[in-house]
Amino acid sequence: MEFIDYYKVLGVGKGASADEIKKQYRKLARKYHPDLNPNDTEAEQKFKQVNEANEVLSDPEKRKKYDEYGKDWQHAEEFEKAKKSRGRTGGFTGYTYSGADDDRDFSDFFEAMFGGAAGFGSQGQQVRFRGQDYHAQVQLSLMDVYTTKKQTLTVNNKNIRITIPAGIEDGQTIKIKGHGGPGVQGGPSGDLYITFSIANNTSFKREGSNLYKTVKIPLTTAVLGGEILVETLSGKVKLKVKSGTQNGSQVKLKGKGFPKYKKEGQFGDLFLTYEIAIPAKLTKEQEKLFEDLKKTNLD
Amino acid sequence: MNPENYISIKTFCKHHAVEESFIHTMHEFELVTIESKSSEAVFPIEELPILEKMVRLNKELDINPEGIQAVYRLLEKVENLQQEVAALKRRLNRFE
Repeated sequence: MEFIDYYKVLGVGKGASADEIKKQYRKLARKYHPDLNPNDTEAEQKFKQVNEANEVLSDPEKRKKYDEYGKDWQHAEEFEKAKKSRGRTGGFTGYTYSGADDDRDFSDFFEAMFGGAAGFGSQGQQVRFRGQDYHAQVQLSLMDVYTTKKQTLTVNNKNIRITIPAGIEDGQTIKIKGHGGPGVQGGPSGDLYITFSIANNTSFKREGSNLYKTVKIPLTTAVLGGEILVETLSGKVKLKVKSGTQNGSQVKLKGKGFPKYKKEGQFGDLFLTYEIAIPAKLTKEQEKLFEDLKKTNLD
Repeated sequence: MNPENYISIKTFCKHHAVEESFIHTMHEFELVTIESKSSEAVFPIEELPILEKMVRLNKELDINPEGIQAVYRLLEKVENLQQEVAALKRRLNRFE
């Protein structure tokens, strides 16, 4: 387990005052706040580190323990024993970001030294360890994730009921907080990571929330225009084909794609590529008609 | 109306310790929907994450309502651009 230099994380000197720490923390938290950095895992990671550093340095008691035992955190237990009574002395409280994937994650270093976010104080007389993280894989079909559904999984002989949001991606991992292995000496439980493997057994190709499909249209429809019935995931739709439609041309059916992940009621688009069916066999009459057409010098 | 699909503004404000006027301002900026059900102001449950995000921006980052409106619109653009980039990357992968 690596030692974390919380002073370096916050960019302050060892002798920084509480005010300096608070100021620097607010500056960095604002910069990396997940609400202002959507889908930016790097910023989220930084935000967690900054929060963790503040959690320690803004609390005089934690800071003292960190300063004394930081690099030698294994001796923290002795330190704890030596202090029989203490109370949480407060300090500047951290941000309480609790977004969709809310985890006030702390590093292994922090967990080992302080036993989790609330683990410091009169309760903690021993070093507590976070439980092991579990990893599981769930196989679903594309249609299984077309709608949001609840599913019960059995992980390590325990049943866990989870909600699988519509639109989840193949290979996507979700984290179920606290459903991993139990913590040691009262430490927090680990997390459960579920990776979804989505088998596409439909005729649609999926890219995020957009779907792609090639549809064959008769030559006459392509030339003269007309109507075709197209299969979508939400049923059949009637589609007008413009006259003079070219082979390989694409049309977009807005909102007929796949549900957008965690965006209730929003769907991607369905892109159809036309493949013009060239008749392989013609009747004598049709052949004559084509010959006549040829004589018109049609390009 | 299914009452389970709505949250009363009073309840929300009490829980998050914010002024009701804050929610009404967000409504004026067309960032959230407010409806009146049984003479009580409510908002649809789907908008809960949006409102909670606005409260965080206001309370944690000290951003005023006008700033939230600007941030919100820019974040929408960022998210759309991110989706577009991801889609383009996926399309590019098809040709590589």
